[in-house]
Amino acid sequence: MDGYTSNNASENETITLKSSDGIEFHIDTRIANRYTLLNNWNSGGTYWFTAFKKSACLPNVTGKVLEKVLEWCEHHINDPLPNYDDDDSRRRNTVIDDWDQNFLNRVDQDMLFDIILAANYLDIKLLLDIGCKTVANMIKGKSPEELRSSFNIVNDFTPEEEEAIRREN
Amino acid sequence: MASKIFMGDMPELMENILDNLKNEFYSLYSCALVSRHWCKISIPILWQDPFSLYKNSLFISKYFSPFGEDEKFILKYMKNAEISKTLFDYARFLKVLDLYNLENNVKNWIDFHRPYMNSPDYGASIYHIINILLKIFIESGATLHKLELYFSEYIEIKPEVFHSLERNEQFLSRLKDLTLSVISELCADNATALLKVLAKTTTKINTLKLDEFYSYYEPQVFHSLICIINSQEQLRRFIIIGDNSIEFPAKFHGIILALESQKQSLQEVIVQGCICNAEFKVLMKCENLEILRIRNCKYAELLALSSYKSSTLEIVDSPINTSNMALIFEKFGTFLQRLKLGSDNEMVLKRSSLLALKSFCPNITYLNISYIEFSTQLLDLIGNLQKLQFLTLRYLWYIDDVAEEQVMLFAEMLPLTLQYLDLRDCFLNSYIDILLSNCYAPLKKLLIYRLDNEKKAKALIEFSIRKRTLNYVAVSRHSYLNNDLKNTMKEYVTLVPYGCIDVDC
Repeated sequence: MDGYTSNNASENETITLKSSDGIEFHIDTRIANRYTLLNNWNSGGTYWFTAFKKSACLPNVTGKVLEKVLEWCEHHINDPLPNYDDDDSRRRNTVIDDWDQNFLNRVDQDMLFDIILAANYLDIKLLLDIGCKTVANMIKGKSPEELRSSFNIVNDFTPEEEEAIRREN
Repeated sequence: MASKIFMGDMPELMENILDNLKNEFYSLYSCALVSRHWCKISIPILWQDPFSLYKNSLFISKYFSPFGEDEKFILKYMKNAEISKTLFDYARFLKVLDLYNLENNVKNWIDFHRPYMNSPDYGASIYHIINILLKIFIESGATLHKLELYFSEYIEIKPEVFHSLERNEQFLSRLKDLTLSVISELCADNATALLKVLAKTTTKINTLKLDEFYSYYEPQVFHSLICIINSQEQLRRFIIIGDNSIEFPAKFHGIILALESQKQSLQEVIVQGCICNAEFKVLMKCENLEILRIRNCKYAELLALSSYKSSTLEIVDSPINTSNMALIFEKFGTFLQRLKLGSDNEMVLKRSSLLALKSFCPNITYLNISYIEFSTQLLDLIGNLQKLQFLTLRYLWYIDDVAEEQVMLFAEMLPLTLQYLDLRDCFLNSYIDILLSNCYAPLKKLLIYRLDNEKKAKALIEFSIRKRTLNYVAVSRHSYLNNDLKNTMKEYVTLVPYGCIDVDC
């Protein structure tokens, strides 16, 4: 782990995360270390971490979304660490653990997409994966028209293009 | 308003979502027709592994360009073949190539266009078209992730394909998964030439599978396989399945010894249909070997005792005598967390081995045993596994008649950590009402064969109300129950097919 708090973090240590709308969350440093929340603090410049104040500002994540993300992180704090050396370890299918399934079923579609964006931004790969699997499950079995209506997508094909895709696939 | 995930701002997230639908052809096809952006992301996934779909083989025509030199051959032979410019360069999207599937699809494609072709022309056409396709894939810029090699009489790779491979190293350079199966006698030299290219080009293979392994290939085949093993940076899974149509392979010609070069990275080994020999002792050096699966092997104890630091051990249809079994449990000791012992016709564990398992392996979280006596020792073992979460019992047998008290005792002894109980192939199905009424384990998932009377269904509902943990029940037969009872049951648990909740070792 490259982050500042990794080496000497104890269970009782906390750091403060501040959302884009100014809400502060005090979290166990183990969460920050485990999910690399703070790994990029010094290099990416998208959010910052001050060694003395032990706080980080996340300009791309609102308080509501951060609260959900941290709820997920806390639940999984004792899970074995996955191996992320390659993409194969992140099995591609649509199977989701019961708790995760319930967790994501309780949020609306906008919140689900915001959680995915936040997980991507904060590099929380497992949460990103289950979020993406949930969306994949929403896509499964739907016709193109149903997909457009479910996700507010505009059909921008010309009739010739659409016909060519149907013909070639 | 649509999320920016779907609008093209974050293609990597869209790709992550649709990657989960790799095996859902019709869903991906729908996605391709939603919008231009969705099409751009879903088409490459749809065309990663087209040869495994078997819907029809006409898609092959989409790979041929009307302007390609080789395609003149196609036009000459296949007068009905439609060759036109396509929206995408589909060949470029290929990630998975199985030569067996390629051959079958090419045969189907030819059968469609020239159904009455005579035999010599037929063979020559298959050979030419397979080679044309290989050249198209290699030169399209495609990068394979998975390659399954199979060398039949039709699959002889032409020199110009080898030249293409030399000029386009990217085609094999990112290969993660390599399987080698049949090599016909006629193709040994050709197969060896390709294996040599693989040894030179690939370094990223994670999984190597030698299927239908045959001890009597030409020495250069074994030499090339050893070179492939040695040239990988991090081989994680190694699978060897013997071609035991005549006899079990007993000679491995240094292939197993070559695994020493992967001693830091190797995590899983599967050996099936082989006679284990001293070569397998090399596994002792593999420090990170977590999973060992031995299926239908002779002298399996040699193999098991060589990798005793693994946390997962599966021994199926591989007879091991009682004293060696006890020694295996002693050696694995506290390392062992997941254990599967199976046989369809032979007792896998005698009472003394159960005692050894109980004494030496307290950390078991997953236990799957078949063909075992329903004895006091078995109950004692299960009761003592205080970390047990998953339990599967198949083909239990008993000497004296089973008394209801024994079933009650079994239910009471189930550890309080147990979440998953699979009894679908076990006589305890007949006593499921007694079992559930006396069970304190917080079961979340239960797999049984039948719920054939009201008493059993009510016991299931009562258990669900009492424990409040049971989420899923997989049951093959419950048609005997009346609809009211079925509906009441569904208020408390979700009935699912076995495949949805089945957990293997």
